[in-house]
Amino acid sequence: MPNTSVIETRALTKTYGAKTALDGIDLSIAPGGVIAVLGRNGAGKTTLIHTLLGLVRPKSGQARVFARRPGHSLNRQRTGVMLQDADLPDGLTVREHAALYAEYFDDALDFKTLAGLCELEGFQDRLYRVLSGGQKRRTQFAMAVIGQPDLLFLDEPTTGLDPEARRALWRVIRTLSERGTTIVLTTHYLEEADRLADRIIVLDDGRIAADAPAEDIRDTVGGAVIRCATALDEASLSALPDVEWARLSGRVAELLTRNTTATLRALLEQDPALSDLTVSRPSLEDIFLGLTERAEPVENGDAA
Amino acid sequence: MSRTLRVLAAETGAQILINLRQMEFIIPTLVMPAGFYTLFAVVLPGSSDNAAYLLASFGIFAVLGPAVFGFGVSVANERERGWLQLKRVVPAPAGSYVGAKLMATLLVAAIALAEIYAIAGFFAGVELDQPVWFALLAVHLVSAIPFVFIGLIIGFFMPSNGAVALSNIVFLGLSALGGLWIPIIVFPPLMQTFASYLPSYHLAEIALAVSGAPGERDITGNLANIAIMSAVLGLGAVIAWANQRS
Ligand SMILES: Nc1ncnc2c1ncn2[C@@H]1O[C@H](COP(=O)(O)OP(=O)(O)OP(=O)(O)O)[C@@H](O)[C@H]1O
Ligand SMILES: [Mg+2]
Repeated sequence: MPNTSVIETRALTKTYGAKTALDGIDLSIAPGGVIAVLGRNGAGKTTLIHTLLGLVRPKSGQARVFARRPGHSLNRQRTGVMLQDADLPDGLTVREHAALYAEYFDDALDFKTLAGLCELEGFQDRLYRVLSGGQKRRTQFAMAVIGQPDLLFLDEPTTGLDPEARRALWRVIRTLSERGTTIVLTTHYLEEADRLADRIIVLDDGRIAADAPAEDIRDTVGGAVIRCATALDEASLSALPDVEWARLSGRVAELLTRNTTATLRALLEQDPALSDLTVSRPSLEDIFLGLTERAEPVENGDAA
Repeated sequence: MSRTLRVLAAETGAQILINLRQMEFIIPTLVMPAGFYTLFAVVLPGSSDNAAYLLASFGIFAVLGPAVFGFGVSVANERERGWLQLKRVVPAPAGSYVGAKLMATLLVAAIALAEIYAIAGFFAGVELDQPVWFALLAVHLVSAIPFVFIGLIIGFFMPSNGAVALSNIVFLGLSALGGLWIPIIVFPPLMQTFASYLPSYHLAEIALAVSGAPGERDITGNLANIAIMSAVLGLGAVIAWANQRS
């Protein structure tokens, strides 16, 4: 096991009462790169990050960050954090928040650099209370990076940002990554993972459902997405050979298959009248639905 | 300056700014004590005899507000909004959060006390020897201890809207029923008995003794009571703190 890892966990488990939030997580994260942690609501993404920060004590298993126990003060000096639902106090301006944070770190960015990097200009002297949701999120991001961390945890950093602000944040994340910062981020925007991540980890119900370099993640499921207009119902579509998941909106069916030929043959046999057939390479979203099972149609677009 | 002191100073400064930008904090801490003292000791007829007596107990009142609101309301709010969690992941020295709150509380309390002392000395005709002024100041500031524990218990146990309500009840209850506004001698016997269970009452008695107010008192009893109450409240605060961390 390489002792140069930034993050190392073995059989990490966390329960909340009867609920198993983390169920045997084995992870090894080397320095550098952007690691995207994906998973549906309640999959355990936040719990994993909190465990690596020492905010949550695991029930069993081991976690090491910079080869120390999570939450060690030397780790905190090298770690930047943006939590999913932690807010800053209302009664300080952005600049005052930055001044306080700057005291915590050995090597903090000066405010001008920080404001430029995180695009805080325009609201830097306003009280946190009166900022818009996206401006608050950007301020929180700024506090995460002010200490020039080696390791950056971002729990859903772009939730609530407009498309332009999201792209701006992606740019900063890439810049920091190029400087060697290891970045662990969670997101529900698969496009974000596609654009940013060097490595993608999919959590499902507290377990790692997939963990692969971003360019290989499609191969972990492989196969293809078949789309067609059909008279079959969802149950019979799901029952076709090698189908990972199937969903139907109106008459338009979409299914992910591991074996295109086998599935297609059975499909054509059962519904010789089907039309509008296309076969394509799966998108990250298709894969994600396959990995996290229980695939429900996310947006049930009416086939009008 | 060492890193710890620098962080503590910055954190204290931030805390004071946060406090002073909130009307809900300023009113019960910097306005009410001086206002009530002016009313009871200067404006109301025949009050100048009481001015020295009231100075002792209103000093306790002036410290009660910053402690209960500065800890109870703000800790509950900051805990609920995740600020406490963020504090635990930054490399701030252990205890700087509570330490800064304590400094901020004492500073606001000192301002509130200065207001009352000035009104007493300049307008209410209270005359005390210099050592007595300082002894009184010491008693008033030290009285923050049990009140801060109460604030911490509220802050760590209560959801933030409940904390606001409870802090107000505690603030007004400890003041009125503990005899900080009106001496408990005028209370019915049952209420006098009740007052003896309140830290505010015992602290006021100690302050009265120090300021040389006439009347028979059991100072040893007051000191013993306040020591026990502080210890119990301190234990409660530690339990509340441990409880919210897990
Ligand atoms: N403090 C807690 N007490 C009880 N259960 C909790 C607590 N925190 C998390 N859980 C449970 O643990 C599981 C994992 O939660 P977690 O917050 O890690 O999910 P997540 O992947 O971050 O979800 P989301 O995408 O909604 O943020 C969920 O079932 C959640 O209900
Ligand atoms: Mg989460």
